[in-house]
Amino acid sequence: MDSSPLQSAEMQRFLSQEKEKAMVNEMVAKLTNVCWDKCITSTPGSKFSSSESACLANCAQRYLDMSMIIMKRFQSMQ
Amino acid sequence: MDTFGTTGSGTGGSSQFSSDDLMDKLKVQLAQAYAQEFLETVTGKCFEKCITKPGSSLSGSESSCISRCVDRYIEATGIIGRALFNAPR
Repeated sequence: MDSSPLQSAEMQRFLSQEKEKAMVNEMVAKLTNVCWDKCITSTPGSKFSSSESACLANCAQRYLDMSMIIMKRFQSMQ
Repeated sequence: MDTFGTTGSGTGGSSQFSSDDLMDKLKVQLAQAYAQEFLETVTGKCFEKCITKPGSSLSGSESSCISRCVDRYIEATGIIGRALFNAPR
């Protein structure tokens, strides 16, 4: 029964690609959600101020740093 | 009419979707799901920002706030994506 399209190598590759895309997508969506609340405190203007865009980029990168630290912290507890 | 399984190349006509059909359908569905989720998030965020005191109808300033907010949210998504995946770390 390995002739089913679901089991073809092509389909497996497609599915793992889409899975990865979904993870990336979810990560970006989640951080945008969180960092928007942190960084965009005034009513949205017609352009981001430089401090707003810097805050957004920093927010995303610090979130990654933080999750690394927390992961290590948990690993050291085991 | 055999609309399914035309690229199956002799698997006994078990009328399966071909991989290509299935992948195209999945792509469309995924794109719809992503768009749907994005729409819901943006609606929530911009309602929070722009409709601070709901009146009997949307005012002009509320409408323009909403369109700016949607543009900025899309821009923010781009900034975050680049910060995560393109920035040297």
